[in-house]
Amino acid sequence: MYGNLSVIDAQPLDPNQVDDPELLAEFEARIARGEKIEPHDWMPREYRRQLIRMIEQHAHSEIIGALPEGTWITRAPGFRRKMALIAKVQDEIGHGQLLYSAAETLGKSREDMIADLISGKSKYSNVFNYPAETWADTAVIAWLIDAGAIINQVANSKGSYGPYCRALERICQEESFHLKYGYDNVVTLATGTPKQREMVQEALNRWWKPIMHFHGPPDTVSVHTEKLTRWKVKMASNDEMRQEFLNAYVPKIWDLGLTVPDPNLRKNPETGVWEFSDPDWAEFKRVINGDGPCNRERLAVRRMAEEQGRWVREALRKPDMKYVTPLS
Amino acid sequence: MTIQSLDPRVTRAAIPQENETEMAPIPPLDQLESYEVFHLETRGDHPVHVGSLHAPNPEIALLWAKEQYGRRSRTVSIWVVRTEDISVISVEDADIFATTPEKDYREAKGYRVGGKITAYKRQNTTEP
Amino acid sequence: MNDTAALRDLLLRMADDELIIAHRNSEWTGLGPIMEEDIAFSSIAQDKLGHSLGLYRILESLGGAEPDAVAFGRSEGEFRCCQLVEYPIGGYDFSLMRHFLHDTAELLRYEMLERSSFEPLARLATKIKGEIKYHLFHANTWIAQLGARGSEESHARMQSALNEVFPLALGIFEPSDYETELAAEGIFPGEAALRGKWLETIAVTLEKGTLILPSLDAVTPAYGGRKGYHTEHLKPLLDEMTEVFRIDPSAEW
Ligand SMILES: [Fe+2]
Ligand SMILES: [Fe+2]
Ligand SMILES: [Fe+2]
Repeated sequence: MYGNLSVIDAQPLDPNQVDDPELLAEFEARIARGEKIEPHDWMPREYRRQLIRMIEQHAHSEIIGALPEGTWITRAPGFRRKMALIAKVQDEIGHGQLLYSAAETLGKSREDMIADLISGKSKYSNVFNYPAETWADTAVIAWLIDAGAIINQVANSKGSYGPYCRALERICQEESFHLKYGYDNVVTLATGTPKQREMVQEALNRWWKPIMHFHGPPDTVSVHTEKLTRWKVKMASNDEMRQEFLNAYVPKIWDLGLTVPDPNLRKNPETGVWEFSDPDWAEFKRVINGDGPCNRERLAVRRMAEEQGRWVREALRKPDMKYVTPLS
Repeated sequence: MTIQSLDPRVTRAAIPQENETEMAPIPPLDQLESYEVFHLETRGDHPVHVGSLHAPNPEIALLWAKEQYGRRSRTVSIWVVRTEDISVISVEDADIFATTPEKDYREAKGYRVGGKITAYKRQNTTEP
Repeated sequence: MNDTAALRDLLLRMADDELIIAHRNSEWTGLGPIMEEDIAFSSIAQDKLGHSLGLYRILESLGGAEPDAVAFGRSEGEFRCCQLVEYPIGGYDFSLMRHFLHDTAELLRYEMLERSSFEPLARLATKIKGEIKYHLFHANTWIAQLGARGSEESHARMQSALNEVFPLALGIFEPSDYETELAAEGIFPGEAALRGKWLETIAVTLEKGTLILPSLDAVTPAYGGRKGYHTEHLKPLLDEMTEVFRIDPSAEW
C-alpha cells in the first residue's frame, strides 16, 4: 500500500480483532530480530491496547507532573532558579506533546486521551498526587522523581514501538538537564543554611514514600505477562528499576548527610540487594484509586485549563480541517 | 467554595471545589490538524524529520515547531508540512525495495580491472 | 558618561518591565490553552527574564547591587515598571493583547537602542534582537489569527481586551524626568518618539486583525508606574515572587 496517508491512516483499536497466527508469528519474529514496529505494521490487538494505555499514561504524567513543580513557578528564588524552573516545567509539557503524538499513531486522538484523563478513566503516575509543600519539594522532585523516571524511560526507549522509542530518545536528552538541575538544587539546600538543610530534609521525608512507590508494586504482586516482555512493551521489572534507583541515588543522598526515613533501608552486603521496609502499598492503592492528597485538585486544574482554553481552540478550528494521524 | 491550593496560580483561578456537571465533551479536532516537522541544524545539512504537532495552519505550525523542536538545539531552519499532504510507501511494503542481489553492474565494486591490466602487462612485456 | 541618574532610571524602567511581564507570562506555564502554545509562551517568559537580568547587570556595573538583590529585594515603591505589566494574567485574550502591545514597544525601543551612545545598552540590544523579533512574530500571528481569522467570539474578546489594555499600554511611554538629557547625549531618543512609532506599528497589525484602536482622546494613559506609583496588584505579586528568597536573602538558593 502506498500513497496518501488517508489510505494508511492508523487503525483504531478494534476490540474484536482476532490475531492471525501467521501475522503474529511474523510480528514476533521481527521483534526478536531487534527490529522496531512502525505505526502501519500489523500488530496484535493486545500490543496496540497495552501501548496506547502505557504511552497515554506516560503523556498524562508529564502534563500532570507539571503541576506539583508548577506550584512554585511564581516563587522560585532568584533569576537562575526562576528561569530554570520555567524551562523544566516547559520541557515536561513538551514531553507530553511528544508522547501524545506517539500514542496517536496507534489510533487514539489527543482529544480522546485528554477527555479520558479528566474524567478519571485514564491514569497517570501516582506520585503527582502528592503536594509540593515547600520550595525544597521541587528540588527533591526534580532530582529524585526525574531520576526514577529516567530509569524507566531509558529502559522503554529500547522497546519495540518505533514512535515511542523516538519520543523517549528526545525526552531523555532533556531529562539529563532536569536531573542536574534537581541535584544542584538539592545540593545547594543541603549545603546551605541550617534552615535550608532542614527544608530539604523534610521534603525528602515527605517524598520518600512516593519515591518508593514510583516504579510500581513489587514483582511478586504486579501482573504483567511474559508476553509483554517478549513483545518489548515492558522492558524492565518494577523491582529491577527500583533496585537500580536505590543503588544509584541512596549513596548520593547519604553523601550529603541527609537521612532517608526508613531505618531498615540498607544494601545487603552479601546479596547486593537493597532491603527496605514495606513502603505502604495499601496507601499506593488508595491514592491510585483517587484518594490521594491532590488527585481531585490535579484533575480540576486540568479541566479548568481545558475549559478556559476552549474559546482559543475553537477560534483556530476550521470547517475543512481533517484529522490525520501524525506520521511517526 | 473554590480550591485553595498551595499553588497561588490555582487559587487565583477560582476553581470550584465540586464540579456540578461533567465537562462538556471535547469536540473532534479540538487539538487541530497534524503537521510534520523537519529540522535543519546547519546550512548544508539535510533537513531531518523530528516529529509532529497540531496546529491550525502552516504559519502557527511554524511558530510552534520553532519552540517544540528548535528551542533546545542548534537550528537554522524549520520546515512544516501538513501530514495529510505526505505520501508514503508504508514500511509494511519494504519488500518492494528488496531487489535481486545481481546488480553489481551499478556498484563500484562490480568493476575490477586490475587482473586485466596485470595479464596485459605480462603478455606484452619483452624479456630484458 | 556623567549623567548616570538618567541612565539608571532608563535601565531600571526597562528591567522592571521585563521582569514583571516575564513573571506574569510564566503564570501560564503548564496551564495554557494548547500544549504547543504553552511551550511557546513559556519560552517568551524565559527570554524576558534573561533580558531583565542583562539590564540589571548593566545597572550593577554602574554601581548598583547584584541582580537578584535588586529584583527580589526591593519594595513596591522602588519599582519603575509601568502599570501595564502588573495586572493579573486575566484570560488568554488579555495576556496576548498585553504581550502584543508591550512587545511591539519593546522591539521598537531596542531598535532605537542599537544606536545608543551608551555601549553596553547598544550591545545588549543587538544581542537580544532575535528573541524579540520572534516574540513579535508570535504576537502578530495571534492578533491576526484571533482577530480576523478566528471566531466571532475570539474577535469580540480581542477587541474588548484591546479596549482594556490600550490605556494601560500608553503608560509604557510615561515621560521621565530625564528625556532631554537622554536625547541630548544620544542614549535614547525619548518616550514620545517611541510612542509615535509604536502607534504607527500597532495600527498595521491591528488592521490585519480587523481590530479597532480606541481613539487616543477618549483614553487616559495609566501613568504613575515610572515614578513608583503602582496598582494594587504589584505588592502581592512581589510578596509572592520573593516568598522563598526572603526566607534568607543572604543565602544562596
Ligand atoms: Fe518528562
Ligand atoms: Fe518529570
Ligand atoms: Fe523531567
